[in-house]
Amino acid sequence: MAEPRLLMPQLYDGGSPPALQGGVCDCGHVFFPLQAYGCERCGGHGTRLRPKRLAARGRLVASAVVHLHAGERPAPFVVGAIALDDGPVVRTLLTGTDVSLPPGCRMVGTLVPVTPAQDGTPRVDFRFAPAMGSDLS
Amino acid sequence: MSRTLKDMRPVHVIGIGWHRYQFASETPYVELGLTAVRAALADAGIPWPAVQTAYVAKALLPMAPGRAMLRHLGATGLEILHVEDASASGSAAFRHACLEVASGASDVVLAMGVDKPARVALAERSTGIPSLADDAIAPFTHFAMLADQYAHRAGATVEDIALVAVKNHRNGSLNPNAQHQKARTLAEIMGGKAISGAFTSLQCTPVGEGAAAVILASDDGIRALGVDPARAIQVVASVGRSQRVYEDATRFDALLTSETAGLAFAQSGLTAADLDVVELHDAFTVEELEYVEAMSLCAEGDAVRQLKAGAFDIGGRCAVNPSGGLIAMGHPIGPTGIGQIGEIVLQLRGEAGARQQPGARTGLAHMVGIGAVCYVHILQRPG
Ligand SMILES: [Zn+2]
Repeated sequence: MAEPRLLMPQLYDGGSPPALQGGVCDCGHVFFPLQAYGCERCGGHGTRLRPKRLAARGRLVASAVVHLHAGERPAPFVVGAIALDDGPVVRTLLTGTDVSLPPGCRMVGTLVPVTPAQDGTPRVDFRFAPAMGSDLS
Repeated sequence: MSRTLKDMRPVHVIGIGWHRYQFASETPYVELGLTAVRAALADAGIPWPAVQTAYVAKALLPMAPGRAMLRHLGATGLEILHVEDASASGSAAFRHACLEVASGASDVVLAMGVDKPARVALAERSTGIPSLADDAIAPFTHFAMLADQYAHRAGATVEDIALVAVKNHRNGSLNPNAQHQKARTLAEIMGGKAISGAFTSLQCTPVGEGAAAVILASDDGIRALGVDPARAIQVVASVGRSQRVYEDATRFDALLTSETAGLAFAQSGLTAADLDVVELHDAFTVEELEYVEAMSLCAEGDAVRQLKAGAFDIGGRCAVNPSGGLIAMGHPIGPTGIGQIGEIVLQLRGEAGARQQPGARTGLAHMVGIGAVCYVHILQRPG
């Protein structure tokens, strides 16, 4: 069985838990995802912006079960906004729940299998899930 | 040195008109737009050639509908400018029409909005910056998460939040230009089709088609055209802003509204306590609760209690969305911000009929658009 491929390797790595590929500006502003256009806080660009790995751990700000959705993603699914311990707020799909969760709940990043690539290579994508056991710290 | 509306010559709204907001139909945009502009000209009692510039707000129609539509009023050669600022396109058009008159560049200017539903492509999704799952977070899901956050912060239930829709559908039932003209019970609203989070369909704005138009004039314009000054409503503040980097990034909607409204209050020398009528961006129920707090119509976390006490009803302390708001009147995008101004003018003239807020003297219009951008205008009747 081939090693699963990351669906969006520019956004996260294959660690356990995966780290998010964010950025930091010389002004101290931390952001996700990494981009080179310029800093939203100070306008700095070029060498002022550097990659920064962000731990995929944080607290849930809000979540919602989406019942109706145009596009390819079949509803229902659950989305959440997570305030990372490292600063930025990240919004993405949740796994490990089919209902909305109480704000403040500890969340951790995880990789879940998604549709394989055309050549059959298995692929995984990033989700947030409610933290369990040792992840709760 | 920068100057605001208060440092320039007075600007008044002298004419208002609509084509009813409605579900998508075969009606061409030309007919929608001309209906609204002819109504506004008739309301002002002025001839089309008096209009020096037309600001045409549209977000969904193809490129350059302005002249293709307005030539049927007589191709006078006036300046025609198209404005797009997402949901706030109409508000942006109105603001710049105000500035043109206030600056002295023109005496009589049209601001109008017209749109028909079309497939929307957001530029935010084509920046070249990848996202984890932004495609999964449509606007109704963004605001569904905000509702979840609000409910926990303010101790509100999903039914409490849905009460906004009960009020706004009731107001819309009295508005012949509204897309939804039917009063709804809380049970009907809660029992509707589930959309996202706590939202059911009647808690979400219907995006349809329509048009709205207003005519702005200076004192010189009013005199020259023999317009009745008693029906002219002055614009006393105009502010446009965009989102900054906020300490609490999750609350940018409310924080942007708070700072934009604050600047409008400072510009006019008024406070929230002076407002009799507010038209605000209630594309989704929770927004009304967030924004009445953000513009200091009530204390943080107190909006549900005030709503239940009738403070925001027609006849209450300050009528919020007497037109029915985006939830009931509708949100054809380009016209929406212009239509809000029209409703406030009706209210301040005392011409709002069954929707009349008694004694209304001061009104505020608020819109936000994806980006995010925000506009606030304050209008006041003479005397
Ligand atoms: Zn910076």
